[in-house]
Amino acid sequence: MRIFISGGCKNGKSTLARRLAVAQRALSGELYYIATMVPTGDDDLRRIARHRAERAGDGFTTLEQPRDVSSLIDTCDSGASFLLDSLTALLQNEMFRDGEIHCDAHVRVIAELTRLLDAAENIVVVSDFIYADAGIYDAATERYRECLALVDRAAAERCDAVLEVCYSGIIVHKGELDL
Amino acid sequence: MKLIIGGAYQGKLDYALSHYGFTRNDVHFCAEDETALVTDKPVLYGFERWVLALVRSGRDVRVEVEAVLPRLSDKVVIATDISAGVVPIDPVIRAWREDSGRATVRLAGVADEVVRLFVGLPTKLK
Repeated sequence: MRIFISGGCKNGKSTLARRLAVAQRALSGELYYIATMVPTGDDDLRRIARHRAERAGDGFTTLEQPRDVSSLIDTCDSGASFLLDSLTALLQNEMFRDGEIHCDAHVRVIAELTRLLDAAENIVVVSDFIYADAGIYDAATERYRECLALVDRAAAERCDAVLEVCYSGIIVHKGELDL
Repeated sequence: MKLIIGGAYQGKLDYALSHYGFTRNDVHFCAEDETALVTDKPVLYGFERWVLALVRSGRDVRVEVEAVLPRLSDKVVIATDISAGVVPIDPVIRAWREDSGRATVRLAGVADEVVRLFVGLPTKLK
């Protein structure tokens, strides 16, 4: 099953995503964690270390893939269970690379993601819900929010299930699955 | 009144147009400096921007909302949820966030239909 998960930060999205990805693992199949974050500081390094420790016991093989996620189709068994965490980082890597701002970065991310979602039957993708605050942002940040929403909506459309995590509560917006 | 809420870029306008059979010509887009609510079109987009205009001009949002409610009874009103972030430092934006929340709750109270959009997917709340 293709599952899209979003919600506010520190609400339990990654925990749920790991659980669903483990549950989707075939008896003898692989379990892949597609790591997308390029660390930019101590905060990020601590977060990465925490996530690594949290999933260490679950049997994940970590694939560092901050860009071009569709290339995984050629190197991985498409019958494996994948967890892609997160679309937020994927877009960030594409939009703010080489010291420039790429305003149409979402087009490339959507294309890459679509290829991956078409090939991988069992995949959980995680994004972040950053659309309901009263912040008034600079143009680049606002464009980033808009592009991430377009990526989210393209992913949600292709996924069999769409879940919103709200303080560990789960709202099912699309699909039927055992939680 | 039909009230459509949700975060930014979640597909609120797309849903309103396709679900109720309107085009962009049927929509009035509220502006942040427009204190008089224009209700000559069936769809009103950016209700929270009108609230911001009121806050910026020092109006009493509660009074203004009560005054326009009768004119909204046959409208589709679209409001962006701005309630779920940290408390803003700027006192005007802080007041906007609170007044917008109260005003939208008031609309939801009188609306005969309330729909929330999340990544393009509608959920009927009322």
